[in-house]
Amino acid sequence: MTPVKGGYAVDVPVIHVSERARQEHATVWSTFKAFGVTLRRLFTSLFKGDTPTIYYPEQTRPYSERFRGTHILTVRDDGSLKCVACYMCATVCPAECIYIEAGEHPNPEIEKFPTRFDIDMMRCIYCGFCVDACPEEAIIMSREHHQSVYNRDETIYDIEKLMARPGIDAKGPGYRPNRPMAEAKIFDKETQTVCPIPSVIQERHPAVLYESMIRRRD
Amino acid sequence: MPKLTIDGQTYEAEKGKTVIQVADDLGVEIPRYCYHPDIGIEASCRMCLVEVKGAPKLMPACATPIAEGMTIRTNTERVREAVRYAMEFLLLHHPIDCPVCDQSGECWLQDYYMAHAGHDSRFPLGQKTRRRKAFDLGPLVKLDQERCILCTRCVRFTRNVTRTNEIQVFNRGHNSEIGIFEDRPLNNAYSGNVVDICPVGALTSSDFRFRVRVWFLKGTPSVCAGCSTGCNLRIDHSARAVGGGIPGYTATDGKIYRTVGRRNVDVNKSWLCDEGRLSFHALERWPRLRTAMTGGQTRAVIQLLPSIHEHFESIRKAYGDSAVAALVSATHTNEALFLTKKYFEGRVDFRLGREVELYEQRQDDLLRRLDKHPNTRGALDLGLGGEWNGLSGFLRRAETKEIRGMWISFHPQLVGEDAPEILEDLRELIAALEFSVVSTTHDFGWARAASVLLPMASWAEETGTYTNYAGRLQITNRAVMPPGDAQPLHMLMAELLKLSGVQVSHDPDAVFDWIRREVPLYSGVDHDAVGSLGATPAQPV
Ligand code: SF4
Ligand code: SF4
Ligand code: SF4
Ligand code: SF4
Ligand code: FES
Repeated sequence: MTPVKGGYAVDVPVIHVSERARQEHATVWSTFKAFGVTLRRLFTSLFKGDTPTIYYPEQTRPYSERFRGTHILTVRDDGSLKCVACYMCATVCPAECIYIEAGEHPNPEIEKFPTRFDIDMMRCIYCGFCVDACPEEAIIMSREHHQSVYNRDETIYDIEKLMARPGIDAKGPGYRPNRPMAEAKIFDKETQTVCPIPSVIQERHPAVLYESMIRRRD
Repeated sequence: MPKLTIDGQTYEAEKGKTVIQVADDLGVEIPRYCYHPDIGIEASCRMCLVEVKGAPKLMPACATPIAEGMTIRTNTERVREAVRYAMEFLLLHHPIDCPVCDQSGECWLQDYYMAHAGHDSRFPLGQKTRRRKAFDLGPLVKLDQERCILCTRCVRFTRNVTRTNEIQVFNRGHNSEIGIFEDRPLNNAYSGNVVDICPVGALTSSDFRFRVRVWFLKGTPSVCAGCSTGCNLRIDHSARAVGGGIPGYTATDGKIYRTVGRRNVDVNKSWLCDEGRLSFHALERWPRLRTAMTGGQTRAVIQLLPSIHEHFESIRKAYGDSAVAALVSATHTNEALFLTKKYFEGRVDFRLGREVELYEQRQDDLLRRLDKHPNTRGALDLGLGGEWNGLSGFLRRAETKEIRGMWISFHPQLVGEDAPEILEDLRELIAALEFSVVSTTHDFGWARAASVLLPMASWAEETGTYTNYAGRLQITNRAVMPPGDAQPLHMLMAELLKLSGVQVSHDPDAVFDWIRREVPLYSGVDHDAVGSLGATPAQPV
């Protein structure tokens, strides 16, 4: 066991860099070996169709169910926002990127709702704290992460955009609380309906599985 | 004075006090809901139970008068158990609306639950008694009957303080609820106080509801500038930039969200009138003036001051010292008034209307006074009401060209409207003057005719002292930053005095020290002694 500076009790492997360099015999011969690998790869992908690459962005690899992408505001059965403007998310947010203005809801049973709910996606660090803090499961995350826009203003998502983004359900939901209180529902803009978020992932573009990628690297 | 022992410590206390009052004085914490020092005793919540030696049962500290040789224990297991059960009863049918409840963050139920209860509810959420939610009791107050713990603080407030009796307990037993008679809304002039004293989220303010969460707010102790009573209040304002990084929504100047009463037994007990409570909205009534203007051009204040000084000097040289004067208003701090008096060598007046007649007169039995200026007494004590005869006197002198250059400093009244004839007179005064400097908080049409227009900090944007109708010196604090280039009047005057060769600090404390040296009335007053509750200087013999 190597004594570690700082006194950690765990056994941390320490890599001795110059030692390792001495063991690796990088000669001209290794260069030709590398050419060999390249050639073999060329033939397998040309004739066997075994390609490690995919046609991104048309194809994507499946993301984890806990992927923390851009947020979704979930809705009630009647299609109204579930959020009650409690400001828990805005309070916990370390990036201070959630801006809420609350209003008086006509129904005294609901009482409070956001008249404005903006998230600055450029400032967001995608930590998911807001999802954990929400007492209503009103905010969850998606697996969407593209921020390609023509104008920075478009990266500030308002209620409309957080609630219903076309195709948001296609990739399935991302990060949600561990014990969902109720089935989160989202608003589908294309069909104008409320739909439960599918819990099983359906990939639109079946691509090379991430797992097989990892296996090949070993 | 009876001696008593609380938690092993022996104290001496005044006869006639209750146990909870003595504990409060000594800093021993006893939880309570229904007890409030200014509204009478009810002893209904049973949170304040303490163990008294010799008494078979636990006693409510709020309703037990002290006696000689009493031995009290506040933290035995028996007491803790009783408080835990009291909390469980109070929360039995409580809706736990905290996410939407405006009290959340300053709720006594939340605080005491964390400190003394911590139980799991034995009552399923779906079976709790439902009552009426979020309906108006009056223009300023909303009631949620489900959240009410029936402490009757609000009932006792309308019974014993305002004596208007709007709020009552209706029905009995489990059906008891707080309410009003249909035809008698809670619309007395002090209705907002019930929101302050309600320990839970049952009574909320229609004005403040949902505008911000209380934990984003910072409280600054200050004094109301709504009338000459000078009620103590706390200004709750944004503590950090609200809106995070979202461009355009970030309040950098700071924003006042509400004011709440601050207890001062000698001035306002715990109360504020509704007009005073909402008076901070007056600052938003007109657009604020953010930059200095002269001849239709905007300029930096600091660049303008030397030329203002030169103008006054040249008028003084040409027509004598008495051709230059200043008109201020009794809404300025003592510090600002004093420095103005120094720079204008006593040729200053503050009387716009009838404030001197009115400043001691009551508007009602509780707090309000007819003079809607906070510092009329202060201006009088500084000797500003000389032979100038106020605004009308200056107007006459300006028309006869006796006065040619003037500094006019105007804060609008925060409560009520400034009389239209005052504004008309100001307009005429500016027209009659050769050179006029107007420093004001808002962009008023009449002020634009002035030779120089300077932006000025308003109430809550400057620190200083006011003297209330009874001569009590109290500190008003800066809670938020003035907008744009605006500065408090005492700073503008300090700069002018520097130009005329007198070194003055911008620090209001230092200015007050100068006042103490020069004004005999204030000589015995220590700025620290004024503290948060104010001090009345002894009358000079
Ligand atoms: S993911 Fe983190 S940074 Fe982004 S909005 Fe939520 S709490 Fe804020
Ligand atoms: S925590 Fe949830 S309910 Fe509260 S404001 Fe955020 S999204 Fe809305
Ligand atoms: S009164 Fe207090 S405990 Fe009850 S819902 Fe409001 S904040 Fe929560
Ligand atoms: S409304 Fe508030 S102050 Fe009035 S009885 Fe209920 S809890 Fe007490
Ligand atoms: S505070 Fe004593 S019974 Fe309520």
